[in-house]
Amino acid sequence: MQRELERLMGRGLFGESRQIGGGVYPAVNVLNGPDEILVQCEVPGVVKGDLDVSITAETLVIKGVKKGPKDEDELKYQRRERGVGDFSRTIVLPDRVDADRVQADIDAGILTISLPKSEAAKPRQIPVT
Amino acid sequence: MTEKKDSIEVHAEPSRRQTESEAYTPLVDVYEEADGTTVLEVEVPGALPDKVDVRVEKGVLTITADGRLPEMGSDYTTTFRGFEGGEYYRAFALSDEIDRERIESSLSNGLLVVRLPRAAAAQTRKIEIRQG
Repeated sequence: MQRELERLMGRGLFGESRQIGGGVYPAVNVLNGPDEILVQCEVPGVVKGDLDVSITAETLVIKGVKKGPKDEDELKYQRRERGVGDFSRTIVLPDRVDADRVQADIDAGILTISLPKSEAAKPRQIPVT
Repeated sequence: MTEKKDSIEVHAEPSRRQTESEAYTPLVDVYEEADGTTVLEVEVPGALPDKVDVRVEKGVLTITADGRLPEMGSDYTTTFRGFEGGEYYRAFALSDEIDRERIESSLSNGLLVVRLPRAAAAQTRKIEIRQG
């Protein structure tokens, strides 16, 4: 497990990510279940049409743009913490997945991507004879 | 999935909830529109409309929201955790110029928008100079 973590961190598991507001955006969780990998992404205020999710082999790319209010020039900002702009996160998945069955849903500003594992990646019991 | 905005009721009674000392402080943008309306945009990802509470009491606007993520169970191991869902809490002092009766609030895509219109008496009124 320790070696696995080092490999992930060392290899830059999360590739490039643009910075908005000084932090890495968007925040993601990667959960590993028996039949699927689940990736959760925090994107409040981002609409479905401004998100682009794609997968190539074991690499998942989440791209998008967080827009500010319309007619920003006519507004007087008193406080600005949220940040706007383009973002992109690249995630190398810990297991092989079946790209044809990947699903992405967004609700309440959280993007949830379900990546069913390919058969070879699922645990298989081996009887000891 | 519809992209509708949910209206959030703004309460005038005092809150019964304790101060959320363990809560996250949500990110917020505050800006003023041309007509003097102040707008707050508060990021509360994971919070559904029935889990968001907006209150005004004695000139303080308090926003609380529950954005906790559903439990995934012990079958799932965490490969990487970048965020925890949780409770959000933030409070703002309102200026006297705000018309408290007309505060409106709506929630869409995990973003809470609170509109604070300026009271008519506080509007800048241009005074015509009569020729005399």
